[in-house]
Amino acid sequence: MGMPSDVGIIDLMIGFPVADRRHHYDFLRSQLHDKESLEDFEFPVQYMFKDVPKVEEKSDPVAYLLELMDRYNIEKGMVGASEVGDAGYRAMKDHPDRFFGSFQVDPNAGMDGVRDLVRAYEEVGIKAATAFPAGLNPQVAINDKRFYPLYAKCVELDIPICVCAGVPGPRVPMAPQRVELIDEVCWYFPELKFVTRHGCEPWADLAVKLMLKWPNLYYSTSAFAPKHYPKDIVNYANTRGADKIMYAGYFPMGLSLERIFTDMPAVPFRDHVWPKFLRENAVRVFKLDE
Amino acid sequence: MTAAFDAARAGGVVDTAVGMPKSREEMYEFYGFIRKQTRDTASREGEGGLEFPAGYMFKDVPKWEAGELDDPVAFLVAELDRHGITQAIVSVEDEAGQRAVREHPDRFFASIGIDPNDGMDAVRKIARYAKEWDLKAVGAFPAGLYPQVALNDKKFFPIYAKCIEVDVTFASTVGIPGPRIPFAPQHVEMLDEICWFFPELRFVTRHGCEPWTALAVKLMLKWPNLYYSTTAFAPKHYPKDIVNYANTRGADKVMFSGYFPAGLTYDRQFAELPEVAFRDNVWPKFLRENAQRAFKLPSA
Repeated sequence: MGMPSDVGIIDLMIGFPVADRRHHYDFLRSQLHDKESLEDFEFPVQYMFKDVPKVEEKSDPVAYLLELMDRYNIEKGMVGASEVGDAGYRAMKDHPDRFFGSFQVDPNAGMDGVRDLVRAYEEVGIKAATAFPAGLNPQVAINDKRFYPLYAKCVELDIPICVCAGVPGPRVPMAPQRVELIDEVCWYFPELKFVTRHGCEPWADLAVKLMLKWPNLYYSTSAFAPKHYPKDIVNYANTRGADKIMYAGYFPMGLSLERIFTDMPAVPFRDHVWPKFLRENAVRVFKLDE
Repeated sequence: MTAAFDAARAGGVVDTAVGMPKSREEMYEFYGFIRKQTRDTASREGEGGLEFPAGYMFKDVPKWEAGELDDPVAFLVAELDRHGITQAIVSVEDEAGQRAVREHPDRFFASIGIDPNDGMDAVRKIARYAKEWDLKAVGAFPAGLYPQVALNDKKFFPIYAKCIEVDVTFASTVGIPGPRIPFAPQHVEMLDEICWFFPELRFVTRHGCEPWTALAVKLMLKWPNLYYSTTAFAPKHYPKDIVNYANTRGADKVMFSGYFPAGLTYDRQFAELPEVAFRDNVWPKFLRENAQRAFKLPSA
């Protein structure tokens, strides 16, 4: 059977095409030290990605994205949304059956950061928090105390948090995203739904061990072309982890949907895993049927 | 000096940490949480005056035998009346404390204790009590927790955040604890990080901050949200640093708190208080006004 064509896919990481992305990564610059990252790279991880999508200015980026999503059978995409009126918010309001929102938290902002998350939940209607520990300035480790009020708030709001884990692509230190840090968080917050982003490499075996141990820990495949999905993760999805692994893409940041879905059918998921991976796990974890 | 003290006292006194009188047996049982992490024989077995784990430091600890206290609330009200204490913060985690606040809403104000080892249940406990009561204080004893939790430990951070959300003051023992357990979780220097990260948190220290009172003063000068209360100290032992600070730039920061009935009688407190070398203008702030501001109590 292989990859099914009749499952409405949920993409846990997608964005609207923007032609000029030069300033998109400015937040990282203050922490980059190497010349190549500072002077040559337009995208801080372009050394790893071939064919970063080049998008022309679109008069209607939402319509453009919807058309692409239709082409690849993506029913819903999770997009960043911070405040009422921004692009993510408008897309969610105009197409509630196609988009849902996530809010990027900043643990360096203390209580203001907690209140921003509450506001995004109440006013913007986001369904998840996201975090990029190595990209924060200063960096904040996954198990740092500054994250704890935010984790507590996610529990109170009953929303998952999607956190980059594993060696980060941009040339900044990896320490804040070591997979082992997740153990303590899952222990202290058993009610928190913690979803890893960006691969957990090279500690994918540890990620599997922790997912087995912690019922509240999940994995999403953001920023990985399917042909590079770690073997540990695919094996786990095919055995005891069928309910734990979720599809997330990386368009337009680093991968085209064409690349992703050209690779995808070759991933050796077992038949019963596919619908869970492409859709059902996300519907359950992000409460998309409510 | 006595005249200024008497005048200030006549305007009312606030005690920010009052316990319900209990029998010796009940108190012994209550202190079990401390005994279980002591190692020395005297503390473990409650010998040599250590039925109260910090008993080696205190003379004349108030004690009642079983059956002596038929109504602890009435007893406490009479005791407060006798000494001119007009407002008192008590725990509403037991029946007597709840009754005190319900029956005497102008006299008693609600507080709870918190254990960050309980995780989200501790966070929800604050929210629950704040909903049901006009909660004024969340209290902690970091060295007495099992396992101990340092004041700047990540487990405390969701607690601090919740105190800010519900606008309740946080009060903690700071400095070397009396019971023979490690002091590390209560080192004064940890207050710096907390006051920095949570500028909206009202943090009141309890139990003296000794021997780091110079540091406590330095931090109170630095952080507008940090206060000091004199719990567990007989006035003749108030640290000099603290009295000097109250007399200079810290008049709005230092507040009276007793230790009744845990370790000190009000008779002793009020016999010694007039001898404390506070300036005239400091007395009403120390006895009443600072506590009313720090804990958001009504000021008549």
